[in-house]
Amino acid sequence: MLDATQLLRFLSANTPRRLRVIENVLVGKRSVSTLYWGMRYAQLDWLGYDKRLSRTEVDQAAQSLVNDKLAVMADTKVKLTPEGLTTLNATSLYQPQALSVRLTVDISTFWQRFLLAIQVVSEASFENRQYYPLQVPWAVKQTIKRWFHQYREASLAEQFRTFLEAFLTSLPTTQANFLANLLVGHVQPGKTITQLAQTAEMSLAEATLIQTDLVCQLVQFIQQEQAPVFTTLLAGLVNSPVSQSALQTVQAYNQGQSLSTISQRRHLKDSTVREHLLEAAILEPLNAFDYERTLSPALQTKLADIFDQQSIDEWQFDQVAPLSLEFWQFRLYEILRSKQDDQ
Amino acid sequence: MISDSQFYQALKQTFGFETFRPGQLEALKALGAGKDTLAVLPTGAGKTLIYELYGFLADQLVVVVSPLISLMQDQVATLSVRGEKRAAALTSMMTYNEKQAVLAHLNQYRFLFVSPEMLSQSAVLTAISRVQLGLLVVDEAHCISTWGPDFRPEYLLLGQIRHLLGDPLTLMATATATDHVKADIKAKLQLPDAEEIILPVDRQNIFLDVEKFEVLADKDERLETLVQQLKKPGVIYFSSKQKADEMAGYLNQKTTCHVAAYHADLDLETRFKVQQQFMLGQLDVICATSAFGMGIDKNNVRFVIHYHLPGDLESYWQEIGRAGRDGQPSIAILLYQPGDEQIAQFLSETTVPEPNEIDYYYHQKAPLAAPDNKANLIWFYRNHHVSLERVLAGFEKRREQRFRALQKMLAYVRISSCRREFIRSYFDQTDSEKPTHCCDNDEQLDISALGLEASDNERVQLASTDWQSIVTQLFAH
Ligand SMILES: [Zn+2]
Repeated sequence: MLDATQLLRFLSANTPRRLRVIENVLVGKRSVSTLYWGMRYAQLDWLGYDKRLSRTEVDQAAQSLVNDKLAVMADTKVKLTPEGLTTLNATSLYQPQALSVRLTVDISTFWQRFLLAIQVVSEASFENRQYYPLQVPWAVKQTIKRWFHQYREASLAEQFRTFLEAFLTSLPTTQANFLANLLVGHVQPGKTITQLAQTAEMSLAEATLIQTDLVCQLVQFIQQEQAPVFTTLLAGLVNSPVSQSALQTVQAYNQGQSLSTISQRRHLKDSTVREHLLEAAILEPLNAFDYERTLSPALQTKLADIFDQQSIDEWQFDQVAPLSLEFWQFRLYEILRSKQDDQ
Repeated sequence: MISDSQFYQALKQTFGFETFRPGQLEALKALGAGKDTLAVLPTGAGKTLIYELYGFLADQLVVVVSPLISLMQDQVATLSVRGEKRAAALTSMMTYNEKQAVLAHLNQYRFLFVSPEMLSQSAVLTAISRVQLGLLVVDEAHCISTWGPDFRPEYLLLGQIRHLLGDPLTLMATATATDHVKADIKAKLQLPDAEEIILPVDRQNIFLDVEKFEVLADKDERLETLVQQLKKPGVIYFSSKQKADEMAGYLNQKTTCHVAAYHADLDLETRFKVQQQFMLGQLDVICATSAFGMGIDKNNVRFVIHYHLPGDLESYWQEIGRAGRDGQPSIAILLYQPGDEQIAQFLSETTVPEPNEIDYYYHQKAPLAAPDNKANLIWFYRNHHVSLERVLAGFEKRREQRFRALQKMLAYVRISSCRREFIRSYFDQTDSEKPTHCCDNDEQLDISALGLEASDNERVQLASTDWQSIVTQLFAH
């Protein structure tokens, strides 16, 4: 669902960006190179945002920007023209606030649960037993059945009203209205995302992004409030952004095992172990990864001297040849510095 | 043997009705007397009530074989609304564990909906054969004949499966069937002596109209006019999902009506919302695809328009059957542009493999997990030890059949005499009278004379959309 307008938000007027990286991040490819460049483009929150995206769509969107002179393309590297930058600024695309929640929470299952929970509570408050329940996967239905059984005595309607009012008040009015219109309850079937896009005269891609981001904000709100009725709806949906296998590698690494021990014990190639560590370094917060084990303070000082004043995207591996580093160590340093810059 | 008074009592108790609709009691009596039954009742006549009521009285598991997942889910939802929570659909969308959970507790269910593919899996068959089966229902039984050979070969196994289940009492239900199809259904299920309950397929309150266009733009413009003019609600059928989406957007823009698309590509949330909005009268028009069943009954649909040409008269008749279930005047309009039959023919034959494809797939070593439907289809026959010659001949016959069916559909479009008489003779039913307003070949279409003109005050007012009132309305005080 990537159109030319949506592609604008991933481009820069300063440096050409690789179209394939933008595509791979959206599709959710977890190669180290995709993750690294996704981080450099500040696009990681979008990892796996559009799993069904096709290369043709991406290429067409890019070509259309080029045709309109909003971007220039060379070797599938794309850069905004000054007109492109003006257009991007004038288009006032929706700016997501909490998209990174996607990386740690299964928000689509959460949304199915939340929607069904509201419907169940709404119908119960009207003492209506005969209604069409939202169609959801079997597991979601079971979860909400148990949830309702657990909390049915807890004046749920009142809690939901208070909760929704608190959350929706915290949003700008148009966004509060947007989210509320999606809700389903007694004699209130809710609006479809297509209908909301039509009403607001925006593209379906833009409306879908708003919905995704608002659901992310809703999850954040629940995580802050810590009311059991609502946190229970997140049970089992919170996960590390790092893949299971990479997590095990990192755990062993943090316990002090050598890389060769890890690769032997876990029956992994040496290169895979390094990829796992880089994946974790990129996706985890700065303090969650033991950088100093690989990059001692002394080494970091030497590296800092070499790259003094140079911007990260211009660093070359050749420049560290005198230090006889492995490439993955060089990349780890790039990650460390990127994260420090963001702080 | 179940008595009439027991049927009436159950009708009152479970459905709150005093009287049966035509055909229902006859079918129930046949089943009650232990006779396998073929019920040909028009869409909207209440086929499902027959097996729901029978299941209620027999107090045994009823297995319903149904072609579409969406249809099964709708039926489970409908039963649940009626207070029957012991219903489940066993679908390919469930995980292994979910399916196991249902199969392990089959004796706790009264209604189980399955696709023929699911039912032919040995784990499913074994589980079902362990419980006392009260009734086997083959819903949309015409699929055995019209879809079987190329689309859903597992339908052909149903006769065998029925034996494996110990020859349970069987209800075959369909909305439309020619004599030929009826014979075919009974033959494939190996029930040549089944009792037949046949109601007239004709729907007297539906005016039949066909309109022809030289260019597409005229067709779109006419559709726009019709949607604006006709009394709502209505359904428009398309043969592609993209076109349904596109025209829903177009009509929303060009008319004052609320229009939404409805097809198999929609996510569950959207599908639910569109269905419920339509039920609650918040939508005027639905742009649907033909392959997609709409399980929820809406009695007051005033028009069914076909934007594309259906592949056969059976499908057409079944789809227009969504109009006027309340008995009030309604209309079925087919918009035809010369060349439409090529799309129809393409869609209708696209599932029938060509001889070279048959030969190729038949001789492949072992592509068991073939990604291609046609490959699976041919492997199905190969695995069931059907010779290459017979497969080739079968599909050749199938292609001719599809072609002849489309020619019949085209004949309906081109005919200059009464369309209703044409339909009746096609379905081998020629004995009933013609309604006052019959078809555009008998009298020129006059929407207001038919009482089908939209009045201005009909415009649907949508509920207010500010979040405060939405939240207030969600929960009772
Ligand atoms: Zn006529």
